[in-house]
Amino acid sequence: MKKHSIASALVATAALCGAGAAQAQVAGQVMVKVGWNKIMPKVRSTELSPPALPGSTIDIKSASALFLTAAYMITDDISVEVLGGLPYKHDIIGTGSVMGVGKIGSIHQISPTVMLQYRFMPADAPLRPYLGAGPTFAKFYGSKGSAALTAVTNPGGTPTTIGGDTEWGATVEAGANYKIDKHWFVDAAVLKTFINTKAQLSTGQTTKARLNPVSINASIGYTF
Amino acid sequence: MKKFHVLTTALAAAAFLAGCGGNEAGDQSPRVAFTAMVSFGDSLSDVGTYDVGVVKVQGGGHYSINGIGATGLLWTNWTEFLAATLKLSAPCAAETGLTPLAPYVPSLGDETPTFHDASTGGTCTDYAQGGSRVTAPIGPGNAALVVAGNTSTYSNAIGQLTVPVVTQIGNYLAHNGGTFSDKQLVTVLAGGNDLFINVATFQAQVAGGVDQTTAATAAVTAMGQAGGELAAYVNQMILAKGATHVVVVNLPDVSLTPYAIQAGTAAQALVKQMTVTFNTQLQAGLTAGSALVYVDAFSASEDQATNMAQYGLTNVTTPTCTTSSSLVCTEGTLIADVAPASASAPATAANTYEYADSVHPTPYGYRLLSELVGEQLAIKGWL
Repeated sequence: MKKHSIASALVATAALCGAGAAQAQVAGQVMVKVGWNKIMPKVRSTELSPPALPGSTIDIKSASALFLTAAYMITDDISVEVLGGLPYKHDIIGTGSVMGVGKIGSIHQISPTVMLQYRFMPADAPLRPYLGAGPTFAKFYGSKGSAALTAVTNPGGTPTTIGGDTEWGATVEAGANYKIDKHWFVDAAVLKTFINTKAQLSTGQTTKARLNPVSINASIGYTF
Repeated sequence: MKKFHVLTTALAAAAFLAGCGGNEAGDQSPRVAFTAMVSFGDSLSDVGTYDVGVVKVQGGGHYSINGIGATGLLWTNWTEFLAATLKLSAPCAAETGLTPLAPYVPSLGDETPTFHDASTGGTCTDYAQGGSRVTAPIGPGNAALVVAGNTSTYSNAIGQLTVPVVTQIGNYLAHNGGTFSDKQLVTVLAGGNDLFINVATFQAQVAGGVDQTTAATAAVTAMGQAGGELAAYVNQMILAKGATHVVVVNLPDVSLTPYAIQAGTAAQALVKQMTVTFNTQLQAGLTAGSALVYVDAFSASEDQATNMAQYGLTNVTTPTCTTSSSLVCTEGTLIADVAPASASAPATAANTYEYADSVHPTPYGYRLLSELVGEQLAIKGWL
């Protein structure tokens, strides 16, 4: 069924390209964007649960990836947009008392988000700022540990792995798009996501982390 | 609306197709590709110097709960946990042997001191020996301390070689062309036996009528001297001989051991002062630099005693072994509280206890030390 949907998406895209009627962001239109998004987590983690060296906390570093969106204009001013893209790979580093151990691992995540947006200015204005809000679903997977992580959690034993949860969060955004011609436009936005997660080590310890990332992205879009 | 639907389906499919992959161990190689670990010190780093004769027949050899997997952990001594972390083969005793104490201890053969290091074509590089002091050649358990006819002394003196740290390093240098390599991790942990001997001397002096303060001052002074000497040996015989990765672990707080607790609060205070003085002189004397990691096991041992739960400990005062020395302690000689339900099961309950005997850690206690050292090595960029 997914394959069929992708195929029909391609067919639909091809058909729409020939239409060439749209000139402004009006009700019923579809816009797609491709760009680059950088996620910068603002981490505050709890201490790793015992048994662990005291004061062991973590930080999760920024990551960037290809960013894809699709938006549908419900009215001339209100749109709904789905944000997706390629997975992000974040480095995890030790902080607190284990500050300085460096990178203790990495983890991948995808965080598709659905936004309900309000677009300012008339539908045919070249510059349209917008605000949006909506739910984010984050899936953490594909983690990698390290020699340092094993050394402080299970020295000489089975290498320690990191498990992540799937989480729901909420995102708000502010952005603007600028029309280049009747199809093409550029877009930039800043997003703030409110989300927590819990990481669990294969050795049993857990840490709860408030991630609350700020994301910035720039993209080029096409209006059908 | 349909075109929006198909587009979002495609986007979501792309995102989730990418979202596969399990959690992996990642690169477990230390940042420095060590080829060997060389250890100097005492029982806390001894992996089987006395695993011969009467000790061997009792299944002993480590100063902890003996037997691979006895508590469910893979290793017993901290040097073994650390070597495995560094992807090195398990350390083995560079010299083995016991001095037969006939007629008290029957000789069971294979007790003649024998090297297993480069001097005999071997690869064993753990020179640490139970009972070893920093400079003085006679430490606890040495045959020279046996008092004929005194069975209480006999139980403690089993003929340990107690080659002092200065001679251990000298033996290594003599057998290895006088140098260390930049791919060796060299570990040094000593001082405990200087403390025990000086406490015994203090007690004997006080019992003999010497002023308590005078005797205590002498004991503390002796510890300061030993700490300074150990620092000098590290500087002159290890760092100056080509070693670029040296770990010096200071003396854990001996005043928190069952040995000191049992001696009473006055003795505890003296033991603590002796420990602190040793560590102060050791740290002050060491040449700090890129080649040296100084591990503060003293502070860690105090934190473990204060915040037991943080380390997964439930008992930091009761020895798990029923033998007076853990050198011959096995799964079969544990107190009831930690003994396994069946002979074939590991004594996992011992993994919440700090001490195996009155001064030596359980395998779990050693693992905690290994974690502490591993953390410091990672911070240094070696692991």
